[in-house]
Amino acid sequence: MLSRSTPRRVLLVAVALVAAIAVAAAAANSTSNDQAATGTLVIDKSFDLKTADPQRQFEVTGGIVAHVLYDTLLEFRGSDVTTPRPSLATGYRASNGAKTYTFTLRRNVRFSDGTPLTSRDVVFSFRRLINLKGNPSFLLAGVTVSAGGPYTVILRSRTPNPALPAIVANGSLGIVNSKLVEANGGTDAAGADKTDKAESFLNRTSAGSGPYLLKSFNTTSRVELTANPRYTGRRKAKFATVVIRNVLAPAQLLSVQRGTNEISLDLSPDQARPLFGSRNVNVQAISGPNIWFLFANSNSKISSITSNKRFQNAIRYQLDYAGLVRLAGRGSGRAAGVVPSQFLGALADAAAIKQNTTRAKAELAASGLTNPEVELEFPSDFTSSGLSFGVIAQKIQADLGKIGIKVNLAGKPIATSLANYRAGTEQLGLWLWGPDYPDPNDYLVFLPGQLVGLRAGWAAGSDRRLEALGRRAGSTSNPRVRGQLFRQIQVQLNQRGPFFPLFQPGQVVAASKNLTGVVYNATFQIDLATIGSR
Amino acid sequence: MSVPGATPVRRFRLRRPRVAAAWRQPLAVIGLSLAAAWILVAIFAPLLAPSDPLEQNAAPLLPPGGDYLFGTDELGRDVLSRVLYGARISIPLALLLVGLALLVGATLGAVAGYFGGFVDSIVMRSADLVFAFPAIILAMVVTAVLGPSIRNAVLALVIVSWPSYARVVRGLVLSIGQTEYVTATRLLGASARRALVRDVLPNVAGPVLVLATLDLGNAILLLSALSFLGLGAQPPQPEWGAGVAEGIQYFQFWWIGTFPGLAIFSVVLAFNFLGDSLRDVLDPQSSWRAGSEEE
Repeated sequence: MLSRSTPRRVLLVAVALVAAIAVAAAAANSTSNDQAATGTLVIDKSFDLKTADPQRQFEVTGGIVAHVLYDTLLEFRGSDVTTPRPSLATGYRASNGAKTYTFTLRRNVRFSDGTPLTSRDVVFSFRRLINLKGNPSFLLAGVTVSAGGPYTVILRSRTPNPALPAIVANGSLGIVNSKLVEANGGTDAAGADKTDKAESFLNRTSAGSGPYLLKSFNTTSRVELTANPRYTGRRKAKFATVVIRNVLAPAQLLSVQRGTNEISLDLSPDQARPLFGSRNVNVQAISGPNIWFLFANSNSKISSITSNKRFQNAIRYQLDYAGLVRLAGRGSGRAAGVVPSQFLGALADAAAIKQNTTRAKAELAASGLTNPEVELEFPSDFTSSGLSFGVIAQKIQADLGKIGIKVNLAGKPIATSLANYRAGTEQLGLWLWGPDYPDPNDYLVFLPGQLVGLRAGWAAGSDRRLEALGRRAGSTSNPRVRGQLFRQIQVQLNQRGPFFPLFQPGQVVAASKNLTGVVYNATFQIDLATIGSR
Repeated sequence: MSVPGATPVRRFRLRRPRVAAAWRQPLAVIGLSLAAAWILVAIFAPLLAPSDPLEQNAAPLLPPGGDYLFGTDELGRDVLSRVLYGARISIPLALLLVGLALLVGATLGAVAGYFGGFVDSIVMRSADLVFAFPAIILAMVVTAVLGPSIRNAVLALVIVSWPSYARVVRGLVLSIGQTEYVTATRLLGASARRALVRDVLPNVAGPVLVLATLDLGNAILLLSALSFLGLGAQPPQPEWGAGVAEGIQYFQFWWIGTFPGLAIFSVVLAFNFLGDSLRDVLDPQSSWRAGSEEE
């Protein structure tokens, strides 16, 4: 039943996506590729900025900046995050069971100082990423990089790694000018975490081939970019200057209403409410890629109640999912499974678990537990997409209270609650998972014995069928087959797992009406280069 | 130096008309009635509140009016009921906390003042140590160490607020301890404890009561501040400070945060007015009105 209807839906979605991309591309092209860049674009962002060094940054703001300073081998276009497209590489070939990837580079690409870009720069950038041992280094864990010629790069992974094409599109894998960076203290050798001194240089000057150049950089106030006059690629800058300002969300609401050429990126759906229907501002509210989920610890040493499978089912069928999505605000969507709706292998909404109080009561009765009382931990001082965990936790408490499950809320500062979550000691936990890269492989962590599985007390060997399926999905390179495998995994996870995916909160992008090409993307948020003015 | 015996008589005569006058001041009337009203609300909240403060039965984010006089919050709870029930958290806790601080501070202050010397130095230097930090910062540190909960918030605030009582009581004990009648009691063979309890403390009670009443407002404010910062009351408790914090997240729906904020405002105002009036009655020397009216 499910497997028959799913491909048709996927096909429909794919057609819609292609159409959307085509329209977006046409719109981008029509705003004249050869016109000189003029004017100033202002982006209001609540900063989480640490560095402009692409191989060191792994933050949201840093990702937005890196995306226009440094080109990557492949890129995602528009709002799509399922198909990496050519950028510096004209294409790639996977071989050896998804363990070897060969990328062919575009010729005549030049860095902003005029130096030609070759495989040497790619190898330098990737090795530097690995050896800096920074936050994004895990992206290339188990991968070796070599040049197969001046315009050929070969990535070899120890294990089958079908996520690699999506990974090379990440801003942290932006290609730097190896000669320039080396001349300013950079190195890609082992021990670069101690010997590389190029960060302060890269915080002053960009060394990439992207559509914009770094003019000034301050991690707490503003970042200024100017158009790269030597840029020859597809994403030519349309503004002479871009200013990214550190502005708190409530202030963003005011300035985007007044300004022109202005974009606000941090409004919550509720904060943005006055803007819907505004004459000066276009507001998009789209489901973001973060998955909020509840889990019940499967380790009986942590709780004999939450590890009871019937009790888990009672929670599963008692949660008021529709109410939770409403509470999350406009643009939010149901998380049908753990893989976000935008990604390959996402479940259709129809396959999501629905509230069924009768069944929940029956499961609770069958659990043999009387008046169960459990503790729900969540980070009390943390909000994401303008949404506080405390509010959602209170809703869950009320939902479960209706069938006689007493939930005690135990909100703790994020430092404490995160430590408990990671140690796997929470009875019930409310958390979110944000993607490291837009590929379903990033969600195998929810399986038994994996990172998040263990946090929910789900040890390896707890569900061998699901684990075997996970191993197969993780090493399959055919996208169609992968998508099917991941959907199978999630259907089973939804039936038997200790996780209850709740929703994907809405992400709001508010932009002055005169701006064109403002498209939210789940990986890099927004591509400043495609934005133009009417 | 005044003649012992003469002063109390004169004061006695002057005080009686002042008591009546002080309570006729509009501020005193407002303070007393507001405080009394809030205490009644705290006692009778279950009878007054239209619904359960935790029940999420209404439509979320309804503006004030109709069935929901103060509107509903993001979870569909009645804001009016939450504000009324909030009085059951803030007011008793503030009383408890001020009581504890008074007990600890007054005892330490009395001991320090009466015995002097080494004991005095230890107590008063620790008081200075606490005074050296801004109260809210120190309270935040304490709750951060103990873990955020309303109980720990109260404990933290006791730690922060005992020194002011200790200081006042010590000063009074020092000055009263040197009066002739105390010396006389001691010469007649009374123990130090008896002199302290029977002769000194009753004379200290007035000013300390004034301080405590004024401190009640302050205590409610600090408790709310800690809850606002997420260090005090935890959800789903309908605490006022937490309510204001919730309102900040839903700024367009002004009623979620405004009503708990007004509740804090009115209670703090009431206890401040009450404290001021009490001072006029019990502690005429330190009252500004005493000077202007008498001379």
